[in-house]
Amino acid sequence: MKNRLRELRAAKEWSQSDLADKLGVSRQTINAIETEKYDPSLPLAFKMARLFKQPIEDIFEENGK
Amino acid sequence: MNNKLSFPDEIAFGRKEYSWRRDWQVNGWLIFATIISALADIMFPHIVSKWPAHWQAIVVLVQFLAISLWARSLVRWIRGMDELQRRITVSAVLFAVSATFFLIMLWHRLNAAGLFQALFGPGHWNIGTVCHAYLLLTIFYFSSHTFFTRRYQ
Repeated sequence: MKNRLRELRAAKEWSQSDLADKLGVSRQTINAIETEKYDPSLPLAFKMARLFKQPIEDIFEENGK
Repeated sequence: MNNKLSFPDEIAFGRKEYSWRRDWQVNGWLIFATIISALADIMFPHIVSKWPAHWQAIVVLVQFLAISLWARSLVRWIRGMDELQRRITVSAVLFAVSATFFLIMLWHRLNAAGLFQALFGPGHWNIGTVCHAYLLLTIFYFSSHTFFTRRYQ
């Protein structure tokens, strides 16, 4: 699944560790999501959407769309 | 990283995040069972085998009670991880437990068939002790954890 997490994080000038702390996950998890090696769970995706004040579908996009 | 989270490297000896205290909290009961097994099954089996049957049974039961308590502390530690670390660690634990079980079963059957006595001469070639299982679990856990972690890097 494609995502705009890196772009959104950069816009806020947060490091991966900053974002990890805000979401209550490890920095490795943020890195794995940004490099599209790992798709987050629905609760984590909702947390991200709330944090960035964006709809989930604006952050994540299905591959091939 | 969020300090409230459990983290796999806190029990990986030699890593920057390694913590003796945390390792003891997670693996203390397994280490206790291993020490009992090392004493009873490997170092002094000739003494323990002369004890009354109920004392020998207690030595065995203490080890398996300690393993049950270890499983509980392991589950608590894994529950404290974030979702990706939990996925990697559960995969590594499942692989390590399955591989250890498989290897001990295979070894036991080959030993019963007399293969090791034929190859290496007379002696005790049994590896069905908690002490051996601990060693195998550790090797399989850390190698599979490294493998599964690389998938997400």
